[in-house]
Amino acid sequence: MEVQAGNIEAPSLSLARRFVPLGLLLLIALIYPWLAVPLWIRFATEILMWAGLAQSWNIIGGYTGYLDFGHGAFFGVGAYITGIVMLQIGWPFWIGLLFSGVLASLLAMMIGYPTLRLRGAYFAIATWAFGEMVRQIATILNVTGGADGMQLPSLLNDLFFYYIMLLVTALTYLTTYLLLDRARFGYKVLAIREHEEAAEMVGVNTVWIKIQAFGLSAFFPGIFGGIFAYWITYIHPDSVLGAQLTDFMVVMAFLGGIGSLWGPFLGAIVVQLVQRILWLVWGEGTFYLVIIGVAICAVVLFIPNGLIGLLEGTGLFSPRESVNQLKKKIKW
Amino acid sequence: MILQSHDLVKSFGGVTAINHLSLEVEKGTVFGIIGPNGSGKTTFFNLVTGMYPVTSGKVTFNDRNITGLRPHQIAQLGIGRTFQIPAPFTKMTVLENVMVSTFIRTSSLRESRKMAWEILERVRLDEKGNTLVANVTLEDRKRLELARSLGTCPTLLLLDEVMAGLTPSEVKGAIELIRSLRTGELTIIVVEHIMDVILSLCDRILVLDYGEKITEDVPDKVVNNPDVIKAYLGERYSARH
Repeated sequence: MEVQAGNIEAPSLSLARRFVPLGLLLLIALIYPWLAVPLWIRFATEILMWAGLAQSWNIIGGYTGYLDFGHGAFFGVGAYITGIVMLQIGWPFWIGLLFSGVLASLLAMMIGYPTLRLRGAYFAIATWAFGEMVRQIATILNVTGGADGMQLPSLLNDLFFYYIMLLVTALTYLTTYLLLDRARFGYKVLAIREHEEAAEMVGVNTVWIKIQAFGLSAFFPGIFGGIFAYWITYIHPDSVLGAQLTDFMVVMAFLGGIGSLWGPFLGAIVVQLVQRILWLVWGEGTFYLVIIGVAICAVVLFIPNGLIGLLEGTGLFSPRESVNQLKKKIKW
Repeated sequence: MILQSHDLVKSFGGVTAINHLSLEVEKGTVFGIIGPNGSGKTTFFNLVTGMYPVTSGKVTFNDRNITGLRPHQIAQLGIGRTFQIPAPFTKMTVLENVMVSTFIRTSSLRESRKMAWEILERVRLDEKGNTLVANVTLEDRKRLELARSLGTCPTLLLLDEVMAGLTPSEVKGAIELIRSLRTGELTIIVVEHIMDVILSLCDRILVLDYGEKITEDVPDKVVNNPDVIKAYLGERYSARH
């Protein structure tokens, strides 16, 4: 036992090494709007939103191992619910956000109950069909404004939206860290991803844990959708329910590294920056999609652990990621 | 009786994998199940643990009917099992694998970690605790199967060919290990092909063939039973002897 004494606690980096970079990052994020021009504040707000969305996808797609191709639906549902709460009921934005998050989460749990017994491509197809269904419904309903979309009251305050996005994104990462990296829930979720039958055999209530994970992963896009609607002020089925929303979440998570806490963050920054820089250089266009496509192929082929895999060993990441270093030595 | 099955039947389409099987396992004993490949040994484990729904009949555990319960509920009641082909959580460490199974007994991570280290020590896998499962040998994976099933603190342990694929010296170690688990509290059902193992470990042995019980008796009598020899070595061999 003596030999193991040091191992009883999970191997952890010293507090300073872990939290100093994180604190610096947060400090930069907090003072950033005072240093940047309005256009770059908007870019940063977008990056924050995508970082949060990619992480929310990572909860179900990366940690739980269920490839969800309808995740954008929760964003759209959130956007419409905040819009409806503010316009039709006349309640304040905050209440709308709460409804967006909770209802998106409940919707995911309802959809998850039948679909989470499918695996791999079958789950992906089922969720893709669900996303498409939500888009079609939003196009024909009166309350959503149909194909014409919905105009929300406008609040032209870039700082407000920057900070609220920062807050919700920070909460997304904090929640992921606390529940997926540092709690029993996270171990159970990983066990399900690694071997579902074995997990069930050692007492994991796999059905319930998967539904919870799906509900959690849908809560955040619901909230982001609500913020997005109020920020952009005009939403329609293609802007908040288009397939490209899900595609981007998946791409960012894969590029950054799925199943890791900071992978989606890195992926969101890289994809958004590339997209915006190309936009500034060449103007409106879709050529950036080609570059991102090539980048994804390269990542899948050469660094399956994502960009985060390249940064391992720098001491900035949690033990789970340093464990990833071992993985790389093994041929799968 | 800790475990009983009453007239248990499992069919897959037209194939009857378990055919009207009734058995009783006494608390604190080591009970062996042998039989040729495909005779229904693993299927029986899958029925007891709730992995497969039964076609008819029932299973009782401590006089409680557990037929139709979900696997995680059965684990909660105190039945643990190992898989014939190790089924570890590959991208987790050895310790984390065992921790997952302790979660139905404790809600504290610290406590769970402590329990998991104790179990790893018991199966002599503590040196590999912080190693990723992907990096450990087959023998260690077999030990991990055992450790993980012990994590749920079972009172009945189903061991599905834990020796298969091990070298003779590793088998020796594994036998020692299973012997060491034998306390009055733990009942063990062993499915195994290696006769030496079964004979040296078990109090009683049941022989299955085509899902049916051929005989059930103490080890010495089982090995001399003509029906058993016939099932294992064929009609002609048994006619010659």
